[in-house]
Amino acid sequence: MSVSSAPAVHSNGLLGRLHARTGRGWLVLPGIVFLLAVMIVPLVLIGLYSVNLMTNLFGVPTKFSLHYWEDFLPPGSNPFWDRFQSSMLVTLGVSVAAVLAAYPIAYYLAFVARRRRYTLLLLILAPFFTSYLLRVIAWKVILANNGVINSALWQLGLRDHGDGVTWLIYSWFSVALVLFYTWVPFVALPIYVVLENMDTRLLEAAQDLGAGRLKTFFRITLPLSLPGVIAAFVFVLIPTTGEFIAPLLVGGPDSYMFGNTIQGFFSDSPNWNYGAVLAVWLIAIVLVLILVFGRFLSTDLRESRATA
Amino acid sequence: MQPMDRRKFLYSAAAVGGGLLLGGCGSDSGTSAGGETEKVSHPPISQEPGTMNILEWQGYEAHGTEAQTYGMLAGKSYTDKFGTDGLKYTYIVNDTQAVNKARQVQFDLLHPCIENLQDYVNGQLVQPWDTSLIPSFKNLNPVLTKKGQVDGQQYFIPWDWGYASILYRTDKVDPEDATGWELFWNEKYKGRIAMWDGAQSNFEVAALYLGFPEMDNMTSDQVEQAKEALIKQKPLNKFYWKSEYSDMQPAFKSGDIWISYSWQDQYVYQSGFGLPVEFMEPSQGKLGWTCGFMLGASTKNYRHAHAYVESFINHKACVDMVNLFYYGNADATIKPSDVKDKSLAKKLNIGDPQALSGSNVNLQSWMPNENEVALAWEEVHAA
Repeated sequence: MSVSSAPAVHSNGLLGRLHARTGRGWLVLPGIVFLLAVMIVPLVLIGLYSVNLMTNLFGVPTKFSLHYWEDFLPPGSNPFWDRFQSSMLVTLGVSVAAVLAAYPIAYYLAFVARRRRYTLLLLILAPFFTSYLLRVIAWKVILANNGVINSALWQLGLRDHGDGVTWLIYSWFSVALVLFYTWVPFVALPIYVVLENMDTRLLEAAQDLGAGRLKTFFRITLPLSLPGVIAAFVFVLIPTTGEFIAPLLVGGPDSYMFGNTIQGFFSDSPNWNYGAVLAVWLIAIVLVLILVFGRFLSTDLRESRATA
Repeated sequence: MQPMDRRKFLYSAAAVGGGLLLGGCGSDSGTSAGGETEKVSHPPISQEPGTMNILEWQGYEAHGTEAQTYGMLAGKSYTDKFGTDGLKYTYIVNDTQAVNKARQVQFDLLHPCIENLQDYVNGQLVQPWDTSLIPSFKNLNPVLTKKGQVDGQQYFIPWDWGYASILYRTDKVDPEDATGWELFWNEKYKGRIAMWDGAQSNFEVAALYLGFPEMDNMTSDQVEQAKEALIKQKPLNKFYWKSEYSDMQPAFKSGDIWISYSWQDQYVYQSGFGLPVEFMEPSQGKLGWTCGFMLGASTKNYRHAHAYVESFINHKACVDMVNLFYYGNADATIKPSDVKDKSLAKKLNIGDPQALSGSNVNLQSWMPNENEVALAWEEVHAA
């Protein structure tokens, strides 16, 4: 609805003038104030910490300085940069794997499950009625040295009793597995939405014209569902870049992620200035990712505005 | 390729957001801090709010509180009189983090270790105690109470003390390898070792391993060498443990790890569980520590805080604590006869007023370059 089409009420007084000028725009004010308070202000503070205009270090004077930026930024100059690179690789791997695993689930829900689809959807989401923390800890029970998997191997005589598979936990494997498990259901949702809303007449037309199932999938279904796939990929990629809970609970000393480094600087070995530099860097990376992938999500919004 | 339209995108986003909200339930909550001004006089206890925020280690909550699951008697005389509703605990996980937390939140009491005494006093985070309000103070070991003074004022009331060393499985570790802190660097036990995720302690261990004369006063060059040693040691760890009870204890019990940085309570716990374990006497000496109570600079519960501390340092509570954790206690009136397990009391020097002064003990103390060490520890983490 355009601004000029708003009904002309409250024509007198401050509220009336505000209304005349903004229509119902003032309704967003509480949201803007909330965002300013809980998001923009902390971001500004983090920015100030990153250039040493604020500090938590006792006895360190606050003065503009790019010291920590200069220490961090040259690629390969310090272990934090290496940790960033390895974390991004894991994040990308998990995102791709989650999308690949979620697509068949979404496809089944959209085209095969029919009346059972909502029951199945509920079942897929059921684990998320418990806390994320508990779900990660549950994986510890499964993967630990005397956990479910190793105990089963012992019982089946596949390994000597007490000789567990050591890389099952406190490793990159366990971190990636837990992240994968966490995100697959979320990833399935946007793909499912796109597939469900797909014009099935196109599929029928393709088959009428002689295309086989595989050809129909690769020429019609997959291209039409790509926006959902990309949305799903972004849904995993962005939050996982800052992940620190899973590595903290099931990761080993070599499988900490960049988020753990930031967390360490803000809690265990407090140097908020360096932590802020890493946090600002991560925010910048996430913004770039949003800009890159956002264009695939918003194109038709611009189109629909243009034709409105 | 067809883009996703706004309706579909919002539908997906709402579904994902709903899931996140559901999944987010039960996450860790923060701590509130209120702005208060320093007092100049202290009203009677009945006029104090009685709601205290206490910076504490997990497991040391007062008797009767929901969080106190060990049945520890300490705190009983306070909670019997004032109840438990007014007590709020904010947890600390290591000494460096404790100092930082004390700078961030409003607190009435905290239970730090003595090596950071100077940080708290210099930062004006604490105020001296009025020991006349704590009847059991007179029972405390003067060697330890003296260490808690700055400019003649009692800022720190010692309570618990103990040793840190290597806890190891005697059925898995060759006795010839269990000689000192170098066991952490023994490649033979790769993947079965867990050091604590504590900056200062790990650099102290590295300093002892490298033979530096002052583990808490290293030069920058020595910090660098210690950092390199810890980076070299890092791949041998299964993990760095953060919580003694939820990380290290179950992993040691399950056999995930055989060698761990530990305090003596875990030696008692794991051997009580039937595991063949030993608490090492390293050739370079054990680490020694003492922790106690400090009073928040701007507390509005001056008298409540004193009553709380009295409920912890009275003789009955101290004896109970010793028999529960087999830590030492600053209460000098504790006799070996008070300790249930006499052999443990002897092995851990409980009841010996000079227990922390021996040549085989390296008492942890203030690190002047703690910021440098903390940064170096994060570099070890990230390496």
